[in-house]
Amino acid sequence: MATTAEGFDIHHDDHAHDHADHKPGFFARWFMSTNHKDIGTMYLIFAIIAGIVGGAISGIMRLELAEPGIQYLQWWAQFMGGGNDLNTALHMWNVFITAHGLIMVFFMVMPAMIGGFGNWFVPLMIGAPDMAFPRMNNVSFWLTVAGFFSLLFSLFVPGGSGPGAGTGWTVYAPLSTSGSVGPAVDFAIFSLHLSGAGSILGATNFITTIFNMRAPGMTLHKMPLFVWSVLVTAFLLLLALPVLAAAITMLLTDRNFGTTFFDPAGGGDPVLYQHLFWFFGHPEVYIMILPGFGMISQIVATFSRKPVFGYLGMAYAMVAIGVVGFIVWAHHMYTVGLDVNTKMYFTAATMVIAVPTGVKIFSWIATMWGGSLEFKSPMVWSLGFIFLFTVGGVTGVVLANGGIDDNLHDTYYVVAHFHYVLSMGAVFSMFAGFYYWFPKMSGRMHSELLSHIHFWTFFIGVNVIFFPQHFLGMQGMPRRYPDYPEAYTFWHEISTYGYYIMAGSMIFFFVNILYALAAGKKAEANPWGEGATTLEWTLPSPPPYHQFETLPVITDSMDYHDHRPATA
Amino acid sequence: MASHAPLAHDAETARRNARVGLMAFAGALFMLGLGYAAVPLYEMFCRVTGFGGTTQVASASDAARAEALASGERISIRFDASTASDMPWTFRPSQATDTITIGQRDIATYVARNNSPLPITGTATFNVEPEQAGKYFNKIQCFCFTEQTLAPGQEVTMPVLYYVDPAMLEDENMKGVEQITLSYTFHRTKDPVTLASAGTD
Amino acid sequence: MGQMHTRMKIATLAALAAFAALFAQVPAVAQDAAAQATAPDAGMIEAVSEAAATEGSYTPMAPTKGKGMPTDPRSDEPGAMAKSLTFQDQYTDNGIYALGMHDYILLPVITVISLFVLGLLLYVIVRFNRRANPVASKTTHNTMIEVVWTIVPVIILVVIAVPSITLLARQYETPPAEAVTIKATGYQWYWGYTYPDHGEIEVVSNMLPEDEAVRRGEPGQLAVDNRMVVPAGVPLRIQTTASDVIHAFAVPSLWFKMDAVPGRLNEKLLTIKEPGVYYGQCSELCGSRHAYMPIAIEALPPEEFAAWVKAQGGSMPGEEAEAAAPASEEAAPEQVALLTAR
Repeated sequence: MATTAEGFDIHHDDHAHDHADHKPGFFARWFMSTNHKDIGTMYLIFAIIAGIVGGAISGIMRLELAEPGIQYLQWWAQFMGGGNDLNTALHMWNVFITAHGLIMVFFMVMPAMIGGFGNWFVPLMIGAPDMAFPRMNNVSFWLTVAGFFSLLFSLFVPGGSGPGAGTGWTVYAPLSTSGSVGPAVDFAIFSLHLSGAGSILGATNFITTIFNMRAPGMTLHKMPLFVWSVLVTAFLLLLALPVLAAAITMLLTDRNFGTTFFDPAGGGDPVLYQHLFWFFGHPEVYIMILPGFGMISQIVATFSRKPVFGYLGMAYAMVAIGVVGFIVWAHHMYTVGLDVNTKMYFTAATMVIAVPTGVKIFSWIATMWGGSLEFKSPMVWSLGFIFLFTVGGVTGVVLANGGIDDNLHDTYYVVAHFHYVLSMGAVFSMFAGFYYWFPKMSGRMHSELLSHIHFWTFFIGVNVIFFPQHFLGMQGMPRRYPDYPEAYTFWHEISTYGYYIMAGSMIFFFVNILYALAAGKKAEANPWGEGATTLEWTLPSPPPYHQFETLPVITDSMDYHDHRPATA
Repeated sequence: MASHAPLAHDAETARRNARVGLMAFAGALFMLGLGYAAVPLYEMFCRVTGFGGTTQVASASDAARAEALASGERISIRFDASTASDMPWTFRPSQATDTITIGQRDIATYVARNNSPLPITGTATFNVEPEQAGKYFNKIQCFCFTEQTLAPGQEVTMPVLYYVDPAMLEDENMKGVEQITLSYTFHRTKDPVTLASAGTD
Repeated sequence: MGQMHTRMKIATLAALAAFAALFAQVPAVAQDAAAQATAPDAGMIEAVSEAAATEGSYTPMAPTKGKGMPTDPRSDEPGAMAKSLTFQDQYTDNGIYALGMHDYILLPVITVISLFVLGLLLYVIVRFNRRANPVASKTTHNTMIEVVWTIVPVIILVVIAVPSITLLARQYETPPAEAVTIKATGYQWYWGYTYPDHGEIEVVSNMLPEDEAVRRGEPGQLAVDNRMVVPAGVPLRIQTTASDVIHAFAVPSLWFKMDAVPGRLNEKLLTIKEPGVYYGQCSELCGSRHAYMPIAIEALPPEEFAAWVKAQGGSMPGEEAEAAAPASEEAAPEQVALLTAR
């Protein structure tokens, strides 16, 4: 089977040798790029930088929370150009939680998963030479970068009691309107506009690419599950983000032009903002995890040397999660004053999501069942993902119950829950994907030893951070608090130790990348063996600057578990 | 598609891409429009269904029809008043509770006083609790229908003419509801209006 | 009101009993209150607590360790570590029901599911690694198992949904007409409590500084200067609203959380089973001092609550309506302009 890939490579090289590696100059290549692989690389680098910023902010937060009282916030307030008083210091806390949330969601997870891996591998996996709209792809990326700068800029301009926007990533009115004077919130909102516009363009691009640019014979039901996951994600983006755009535009006009969409003084309703925000916000959490689902499916199949179990079930489970994700939003608003029937509906609808999610978990396990498992770095990260995502998922079932949520809403239990599904779910899948595709993208092998050490230290670190937060939440510790009663000290302290472990573990990641780029073994076209059946492994590592000048043909006789062309 | 490998870049693909891309973009624009449309739609939805404890507006003939259905059952009504933080008024109900006959129209009054040295215009937002009562709580006349302007130091009594729809007695969700709270919050209207233009008394 | 009530009989009986007891106590309490009504600082807890030794009216109740507050795992209280891992003890019927649902249904179910998945993963790792199983099977379908893992979760969810829906129905029971009404208003950054049926008592509740809280034997950042005092064992109608931004009124040991939204009123029934001090904290981001606007509810036996009302210069509903009426009537509007709006 391995000869298939190599045979195809030769065939491909014969065809494309003349101009496949003809690259533009540095500026044109990286600033006006229309190449999906270059743009994907830029997205990944951008996401890593944003992740460092967002992760550093969480370090500031964990340090502050290591013991009760206000330790460092005054210093930060002055550093950011604010006053020396307690109110400014406390405001800085709100700025940090807001920035951490927005950066991690909009500038780390989304760019990495959709912009980075999506751009790199969707065209490769469906046998397309590039994205449908290469120039628009470039615009998407730079809009995201501009959004990030707008957010960073907001940290240094007045936002109420101090510099920066301290509204939480949810930007609830009226705290974000009459409750925060100064331009910081405007810049934060504008940042969402920019990155949102980038994402909408990106979603359009992915939908078009996947619908129109598939190689002959690559039917929808033959597409790799990662492509399916990006397709569903693109639809979620396309339908959810404009609603956010509308909501935050109304916030802007409420703030600056005297409209009263969410201001009761003019007949508006602040609760409506929450409905609009969460109509976007709930699909958003699936936007952040679905591409991860796709990557895990590819990786588990590769390292089990077995096709994905229940391919159609897996694909349509993602579609189901996407669809149901649009009709459960008010479970984020259980305490806002919903009537009993509304709350019962949202409780029931939310629990329904557990069914397709369960299908996915069990299908991954079934894929491994009877397989021949090889525990390369992407696989151990995937195994970690499956377990930790399950833990985060089941606490979601607890929170789905409106009556139980009356106690847990806005406590650390919620913080623990969404970090288990995102900081472990999404992030573990990103590391899995990164180690899976790094040889393909860079042409170099990373160190398996370092990536295993990275895995174990990271696994221990994040669990030590977030597992105790369940206890804090059940004991009543509210979210978004810089300071707390003495009784919560012990578990906060443990949680902060976990952060040190996690931060230390990231050293192995960066060392690994640098090592691989500088001295890593040259990667073959397919370093992962016969289990790696998708099209990207038929190309050399790294792939030529332009691939599939001649489209590969996937024959009808092939089962949809095999995504390679019928050469050999 | 054929068994021979076609070229990737052709005009046909570009045209198809433009079509799908535009359709997707139209979808995004539609959702953007829906986001804005949510404002009037939500308001309409609340008004029609009483969602969130939104009260109903009734005409005198509606009230007469309800009165014909009144069977003498009584219910307690609580009157609640709040002011927003930027509103320098004292605002309270003339009495905290009242027991009325379901279906019969009744009048309640609130007292508002402007404590500031400036004329102040305010509007009242309102809802009832429990929320399922919104559908059955009908106002025939209310000070909350319009803006109110008070001169410095002026104190006024403001009436609400309302009735509770006897249909509530048939609603499973209203079983066990012994008291309905009618709540108002006065907010300072953003654009200052001169006293003359509002002309209250 | 000739209609049928679906609310629990027990609650009704408890309410009636409590009210009967309350009225029986009234004359004595009223005299007590009258005797010290001249004290100018009657409304202030500091003054009262100092005067309490001699006059014996309202003294803020000392909180009980481990009740109505989080448990510190480092404390020497027996079982403190175990207590810090779960919910606070509950002091409402609905809280006990919800806690039971969590402890006996949700927690076992989620633990078993997590361990089941972990077990399968470990089994797969041991049994199907490359050394143990060099040749992979090519199985990709098994309709039976796919149906099972769709149906079984559905059954589990239905099992969860039954008590969940019951819990919601219980939480949404409406307060009886005679329930004691307290309106909690969120401000940046403190709470105000008004008692519309008790002579419009208004309590402004600010967080105590850490050292002052410790001096009084209360947990820091939870203790307040003036508590929300309520009668225990009788239904309370808790109403919340806010005057500036959204706040949330939350008390973990009562399984109670309700947003305070500017421009609207929310309402919920609360019946606290026994006297005690129950702490909570604002639970919706409301600006810089969000962490510094705690909630302290002091539930008193009904007769002591009546005494507190007196000490605040208020009156119990009905009982003193005539006496209080002239005073409030005098404050009534001088000029009455009847606005007939449209």
